[in-house]
Amino acid sequence: MSVEHRRAVKRTLIYGTISIILYALLYHFEMDILELSQEGKWNFYIPMLIAFSFSIVHGNFTGQFWDMFGVKAKTTKK
Amino acid sequence: MDISFIDLTAGSVILLFLIGFVGGLVSGFIGSGGAFVLTPAMMNMGVTAIMAVASNMAHKFPKAFVGAMKRHKFGQVDVKLGIVLGISAEAGVLYGAGVQETIRELFGKAGSNLYVSSVFVVVLAIVGAYVLRDAYKMFYSKNPEEEKKTKLAEWVQSVHIPGTMMYFKSIDAKISVLFTIPIGFATGMLAATIAVGGFIGVPAMMYVLGVPGLIASATELVIAFIMGMGGTIKFAWAGYVDIRLAMIILAGSLFGVQLGAIGTTYVKPYMVKIVMGVIMMIALMSRAVVIPVYLSELGEIDPLAPGTITILKNLSFGLLLFALTTGAVIVFKALIKGMREHRAKMAAENAVPGTFSAPEVDVVEHQLSPTGRLERIMLVTDNSEHSESATAEAINIAARCKADLFAFSVLPTPTLGSPLGQNTMHDVEKKAVVDRLLKVRKQAEAVGVSCEILLGHGEEPFAEIVDQAEDSSMDIIVMGRSDTNDLVRSMVGSTAEKVIGHTHSDVLVVPQGGKIEGKGIILPVDGSRYSDAAAVTVQNLVKQCSAPVTIVSVAVDERLKEDAIVHAEKVHQFMKGNGLDVKVDVRVGTPSEAIVASARENGADLIVLGSHGRTGLDRLLIGSVSERVIGNADCPVMVVKL
Repeated sequence: MSVEHRRAVKRTLIYGTISIILYALLYHFEMDILELSQEGKWNFYIPMLIAFSFSIVHGNFTGQFWDMFGVKAKTTKK
Repeated sequence: MDISFIDLTAGSVILLFLIGFVGGLVSGFIGSGGAFVLTPAMMNMGVTAIMAVASNMAHKFPKAFVGAMKRHKFGQVDVKLGIVLGISAEAGVLYGAGVQETIRELFGKAGSNLYVSSVFVVVLAIVGAYVLRDAYKMFYSKNPEEEKKTKLAEWVQSVHIPGTMMYFKSIDAKISVLFTIPIGFATGMLAATIAVGGFIGVPAMMYVLGVPGLIASATELVIAFIMGMGGTIKFAWAGYVDIRLAMIILAGSLFGVQLGAIGTTYVKPYMVKIVMGVIMMIALMSRAVVIPVYLSELGEIDPLAPGTITILKNLSFGLLLFALTTGAVIVFKALIKGMREHRAKMAAENAVPGTFSAPEVDVVEHQLSPTGRLERIMLVTDNSEHSESATAEAINIAARCKADLFAFSVLPTPTLGSPLGQNTMHDVEKKAVVDRLLKVRKQAEAVGVSCEILLGHGEEPFAEIVDQAEDSSMDIIVMGRSDTNDLVRSMVGSTAEKVIGHTHSDVLVVPQGGKIEGKGIILPVDGSRYSDAAAVTVQNLVKQCSAPVTIVSVAVDERLKEDAIVHAEKVHQFMKGNGLDVKVDVRVGTPSEAIVASARENGADLIVLGSHGRTGLDRLLIGSVSERVIGNADCPVMVVKL
């Protein structure tokens, strides 16, 4: 496994861990978050903030996830 | 206002995750946002239409942001066009969301559901039919049509309305904003209604404005981000966003999207279109069968029996699950079969999948010292003019050193983009890059150099290049230098700089117009083992191609000049001992500037320097001399790695 690949795996695992923590927090504070979202108005930033942080963290995790298992886009060789 | 969030049980969480995964898998495969399955799926679970659209938007806009940044890295986004269209799309979103709320207030939940479902049916019928027609045409045509500018686009570009004209680089023409405003508005309005706007945006950009397909699909991500964010604020302001639903779907869909996108590279393009068209048609039927339910709830038709309502709702959900399962099965099958065949093919060619052929071990011929060895040359080329000089030099070196040449290109892994052919766009781009690689091979073979070509996919071009050089045991990487100097480049650094920071192979960076003709080699030294390695490399190079060598040693101020002389003299003696007559040039000043100046004054056409290989924070704080030399030199620069 090359150095770059090892780094990518490490990065993926770190993002995976943060992602799990974020989801656990969402579950834990489910009721409070819903209540605040329902009020609307200036609370609009709550779902926005959640959406942004989850996408970036979880996106970084899944971006390299399949690569770790050798599932890669096809290379063209001639 | 009646806002009620549905109760989430463990079962519904798993179901949402799975729907997200399969929806993502299918949307990654067909290149659509997947909202046309996710919105109905949420509605089938009891979520009201407005909330389903709101939650869907909330999970999509950050994804669009990440996607737009990624595509920008590959130079496919027309940011100005995206922003101009995005602003008018925003107006469309606000108007569309207003319409949604008004309908909900006037006709209640059933009215809102009926409105969204009807728009779905109409839009999916039009787009689905178009996609299937396209698939049919692709299947029967050996050479899919080349992209041509439509007559409409030609007319739009020819119209001149004073005071409204704006220049867009993707079409290299001025267009009146009076044409872009309605396109943006319609895109936004559709997005606020069914959470999918690209159905209008991408084809309109391509056929009405004449934007190339690849740029249209990437620019759509900027529009999707701007309007998605605006729409989410609008819906969240009214309290309609159920962020739990959005995030659970996101969790599954991001896994699926990646896998689906990888799957597209293993199948024929028409297959992607067929899957897309079929799924759209089934999703359409799924929405259509519940329309009578909403009509009866509104009292527009005779009330339906409760049994009939249950049957229709279950049928709708069943159809949707059927659509998703069919899509998922096709994608999985294509992926597994494709990967298996690809591996078998690669094994037959003495290569690990995704790498060049392994070197043949020849004990007698093989040069022992890896420093300055030039037996396997990897040329990194993209489809731009930046790599033309690099190509010419790589071929020259390979011819002179009787080395094997390997031409490599990287394309971004196709990811979630927008409907109507992100994958086709990927194929167009892929064809262009493969054609370019084949041209390189032809050029090489014309001068008797054997050349293997390979196209890889990856998220980060530099990491793919570094990995490929290592996996395929390359001695040197030859690449061009892009002269763009915009904000994003300074933020993310150029690919060449990142490759130098991470690879173990030597790197030759050739600026546009740079040529190595043996006029002179500049060898900067600083007494480190890195510059010693560069000295050994120069010595090997001069054996292959004689050229006058100048050792340059730079002191940052007068007090350190003595040290600089010592460093230069040490290398001078080493070179002299090996029978080389070299010139010594000791200077005081900023190292990078002094090196570049020395190259200019001595008329040298190659600078060979050792790299300290700093990366990350270290590089940010200290900076890299090699990076600055590469950025400012007029001639090619070879960076020697230890």
